[in-house]
Amino acid sequence: MENKEPLSPHIQIYRWHVSSLVSISHRITGIINIIAITLICIWVSLLLFGESKYENINFFLSSYFGKFIILGLTWSFIFQILSEIRHLIMDLGYGFEIRTTKITGLVVIFGSIILTIIFYFIGKNFI
Amino acid sequence: MVQISLPENSKVKKGKYFKDKTGSKNLRKVNIYRWDPSTGENPRIDTYEVDMDNCPSKVLDILNKIKNELDPTIAYRRSCAHGVCGSCAMNMGGKNGLACTTPHSDIEGDIDIYPLPHLKVKRDLIGDLDGLYKQYQSIEPWLKSNSKSETTEIIQSKDDRKKLDGAYECIMCACCSTSCPSYWWNGDKYLGPAVLLQAYRWIVDSRDEEREARLKKVADELKLYRCHTILNCTSACPKGLNPAKAIAEIKKMLATASL
Repeated sequence: MENKEPLSPHIQIYRWHVSSLVSISHRITGIINIIAITLICIWVSLLLFGESKYENINFFLSSYFGKFIILGLTWSFIFQILSEIRHLIMDLGYGFEIRTTKITGLVVIFGSIILTIIFYFIGKNFI
Repeated sequence: MVQISLPENSKVKKGKYFKDKTGSKNLRKVNIYRWDPSTGENPRIDTYEVDMDNCPSKVLDILNKIKNELDPTIAYRRSCAHGVCGSCAMNMGGKNGLACTTPHSDIEGDIDIYPLPHLKVKRDLIGDLDGLYKQYQSIEPWLKSNSKSETTEIIQSKDDRKKLDGAYECIMCACCSTSCPSYWWNGDKYLGPAVLLQAYRWIVDSRDEEREARLKKVADELKLYRCHTILNCTSACPKGLNPAKAIAEIKKMLATASL
């Protein structure tokens, strides 16, 4: 009895590098952002139901978990924007050399983290 | 639909262990993907201890040494051993490349050798590339010139010839296409970097007269636009070519041309 030809291992064995990481993160943050925008819309709609609902949401967003969510979404939006700019530049046909893609990828990763921190401090009125 | 995990018959098991018999101090462990079509068993990873003091510098040298000295049953493709034929394309240390041009000193730790990713395995390190060759055929990779006489040469300027640099050198080893996650998930429809680079090569050839028809043919949501610039292709190419850029150029041509 002959075995059906197996499929060779793929994502299990392939090594990650900067631009594949940025690419998959771009997709994940994209999905997160769509959910986030939907939630923000629901939040705004809830305000129509009066003060008590506003208080509830405010209570949640002031909690540590709420703040974590807000900060996470801030990062996710910033990452998406930076990565999108990188993609736009690539769509113009620039930045395809391996070295360049590595640098722009790292700019996206670290830039998003740094900008999130700056955002946080601006929100806290530290800056 | 994207299937992240391997199907049941493709799950990799632990295989045999070939202990070193030379008594060498300079040993490296080499893990090789094995599958024998005659047994009906799942694929396995065999581990070989290889005496590196008596082994030349490339991964292909390791494979030859194993086949000659340790285990003659191992199967892999190879021919020129100089990075020209593209036969020995495989996945080494988690990255696709040609075994004959990849130095084993570039790989840290144990040396893991797998066939090219996401292919039907024929045996051991030999993957089935039929699908890719069919796709290559589908872009009609030959010169199409209707009007010009067949007895006179078609003149090409130096500038026009230059456009083919970085595209004509491709040896169709499939390192790029099989490194591409998009090609893993949509390989039946998406043409993949290797074939698109060749499509580009004929689109920009000044002697070819079917440019528009060629562009129209690849202008397809699945055939072309599944490229999400992950750039695994460019980093895998053993010839230092840039399929991702070629695909971007095709996209650009389509965006600016009115077909």
